[in-house]
Amino acid sequence: MNYKLLHIFRNTPFGRETFLQSLYFCKTIKAYPVVYIPKSDKFLMYFSNDAVQVDLDHSYLNSPETAKAHAEALFEEAGINPMFYEPKNFTASTLPDVSTNFDYLCCPRSVSDLSSKIGLGHIGPKVRRIIKHATFPVLISSPVFKSWTGISVFFGGSENAVKSLTLGLKIAMASGLPLNLYTLIEKNGEDYYREVVQKRNMESLVDKYVTKWHFYENEAFDTMLYEVPHDSLIVLGAYGHGIIKELLLGSKMEIIQSTVTNNLLIVGPNCTISLQ
Amino acid sequence: MQTIKNIYRAIYYRLFRLDDRLLLIVAGSLAGICSGLAAVALRLSLESVIEWLHPFRHYWWAFVLPAAGALLSSLYLEKVSKEGAGHGVPEVIYAVSRYGGLLRLRSSYSRLISSFLTISSGGSAGPEAPVVMSGSAIGSNIAKFLVLNDRQRITLVGCGTAGAISAIFNAPIAGLVFSIEVLLGEWKFVNIIPIAIAAVAGAQISQAIIPEQVLFNHQPFNTMAADILPCLCLAVLTAFTSVFFTKSLRKIGGFAKKSSLPLWSRAIIGGCLVGVIGIHMPLVLGEGYHFIQTMISGSFSMGLFLTFVAIFAKIFATAMTLGWGGSGGIFAPCLLIGSLTGVAFHKTLFFLLPSAGIASEGAYALLGMTGLISGVMQAPLTGIFLIVEITGGYETILPLILVSSISATMSHYIEPASFYLKDLIEKGQFMRPGTDARILSDLSLNEIIETNYTKVSENMVFRDFIEIIKLSQHNFFPVIEDETQIYKGIIQIRTIRKYALEPGMYDMVFLNQIMDTEVATASLEDDLQDVLDMMDLNNMDSIPVVENGRFVGMIQKTRILDLYRRELIMQTNI
Repeated sequence: MNYKLLHIFRNTPFGRETFLQSLYFCKTIKAYPVVYIPKSDKFLMYFSNDAVQVDLDHSYLNSPETAKAHAEALFEEAGINPMFYEPKNFTASTLPDVSTNFDYLCCPRSVSDLSSKIGLGHIGPKVRRIIKHATFPVLISSPVFKSWTGISVFFGGSENAVKSLTLGLKIAMASGLPLNLYTLIEKNGEDYYREVVQKRNMESLVDKYVTKWHFYENEAFDTMLYEVPHDSLIVLGAYGHGIIKELLLGSKMEIIQSTVTNNLLIVGPNCTISLQ
Repeated sequence: MQTIKNIYRAIYYRLFRLDDRLLLIVAGSLAGICSGLAAVALRLSLESVIEWLHPFRHYWWAFVLPAAGALLSSLYLEKVSKEGAGHGVPEVIYAVSRYGGLLRLRSSYSRLISSFLTISSGGSAGPEAPVVMSGSAIGSNIAKFLVLNDRQRITLVGCGTAGAISAIFNAPIAGLVFSIEVLLGEWKFVNIIPIAIAAVAGAQISQAIIPEQVLFNHQPFNTMAADILPCLCLAVLTAFTSVFFTKSLRKIGGFAKKSSLPLWSRAIIGGCLVGVIGIHMPLVLGEGYHFIQTMISGSFSMGLFLTFVAIFAKIFATAMTLGWGGSGGIFAPCLLIGSLTGVAFHKTLFFLLPSAGIASEGAYALLGMTGLISGVMQAPLTGIFLIVEITGGYETILPLILVSSISATMSHYIEPASFYLKDLIEKGQFMRPGTDARILSDLSLNEIIETNYTKVSENMVFRDFIEIIKLSQHNFFPVIEDETQIYKGIIQIRTIRKYALEPGMYDMVFLNQIMDTEVATASLEDDLQDVLDMMDLNNMDSIPVVENGRFVGMIQKTRILDLYRRELIMQTNI
């Protein structure tokens, strides 16, 4: 398939780790990484109902003269043909419009705040808005490059969780890696979650590709997070609420992302995932 | 929380979503009120700070005031709100043209703050374009909140604009006309009603907070038949002045962009130059409404030579302010330059023909304003209605129409793109709804590509291929490499007829011997317009799309035509 992942290149050692993660992800699922080397510290992404201005921290503009060569060297190391993205349209002369016509986007937890770029900081407001409006899943990479040998889908039975499951299955099919499902039983029993899968006609696929479906009682959330293999790609759904809404309503996604060091593939509410 | 959500949903879906027109009217009124409040806030804050700074203007060091304002404005835009300098109207038109009117929330206040800093300190610019930007962003974000579609969002962008213009000038008709004529570019029933209501809402807010009824007061003017010929000459003069003004803004701004100086230092240089001019000729500072009032009321004291000098000084000061890092609009400078042009013309006429029985100097100041607004924006109706409303009189309507139409036509003849559209047209980013370019840009390659083609191996023998043809409806068959699935070429039914008619060849010919490898291919990255150009150039009705060496699908002209018609109906039949 011709799936494409957009990677915003940061010409720093940390940026290299993130890019290695993108390359690994693409090689594993047979997608193509497309690199955008920013020339200004901001860009716009126009989604169907929002225009998100991403203000990059200054490290994204480090040593522009070596950025392309560094990216090409990493491409070569991974055995992938280099592909670069150049914006065609500009809202203002220093404000390029970056296309949203991609299948995946890779970004760290925060793109605008230098202080939290290394370590498990909170997800920044821009990344949240991208998650909220994007029609593609967002790969939030681990702070350092780490390969993964399996896929863990967090399945809570919601609409987004079904999308996550679909994406998990898709990645399992493309990569041939084992898929595990993790469910925290909140209100209903195990049967409820199995019924959700059944209603979506995904039972046979789940039987075929899911190695094990793990169920945990509501209080065992921390146990569940600990038991998720550290070397697996976690696929989960999220609503992309803003910080205030998240403080008021709470967020499982925020707890997960600030607790585990795995790579996360986040499916937002506007994502469209198809198994084709 | 759930109960509140349910109540909200009940109200929203049962009341507003039942009828989209009702929803647009309510949302448009809200946009008009909010943008009106923003405009009034800017106007009042400008008035108070300009008055507060007035005593300091007489000191020798006062020339640094515009520099300080421009510096703060550029730093604010660059470091705090992270937006580009300028007035923002092209940005709004761009958003309407390409992205269904999507504007950032920060645009609803950033230009207000930056233009306040620039204008209040004495920078030569007007507050109108920033309030347009602000109002449009307010409308766009209301639409975003209500999850409206692109067409409805564009209408609300128009509502915000109309509310802002009508509030700042207390001119609802001008707000309506500007919004439709300049921003949206389409007079449609569904647009007009919400925008008109938003314009009224904006004007009402303005009247409630600032009780004065008209921006410029004057005695009634008596225009007569003898004024027709001078009006024609004035229209020509304002057209040339408009073109000169537009070109100066672009040239001086372009010169600043080419320099390697950081924005803040450019803003200081520009501001200092404006300040120096302002010490000798205070009318170049700020929006200049006070001087417009003196010209309209006939008490302008400058002589003919100085009036001409003032025209060039104001043009230069505006270009230095806006092109070199300041923030603000060209509406107010247009009004001042136009009224100066009208007054200069009247003085010249009076000098040459002292006994000519023509209307007063104030009337010509009005006509000059209309001519310049119409010439710079190439929006004649905006020029006419704005001047009628801000002066509160219809007695000069006939010469206003004459000057406005001729000035807009002549300036369009000399310079086909208006100031607001020039950059967008040059970059190919100006697309009105229903136009060819807009429709093609709205069609994505992904929806046009047909992917259900049967791929065949390059090592396939022709006999096997014949069996595939029998079961297929297609005329094209992409040929791929067995192991890598890389696209190698294409087989077109019409080119293999000679092999098909000779059964003896069936087992002797392999597909890699008869495939066409010279066929042009498109990529998913290409614009549809480029793909069509490629098809025309190569005289093709279908073109294969290849991405990363893999065959993706085919694009056919018939499919493009189908989708083009669908998109055209969507964009025009609302």
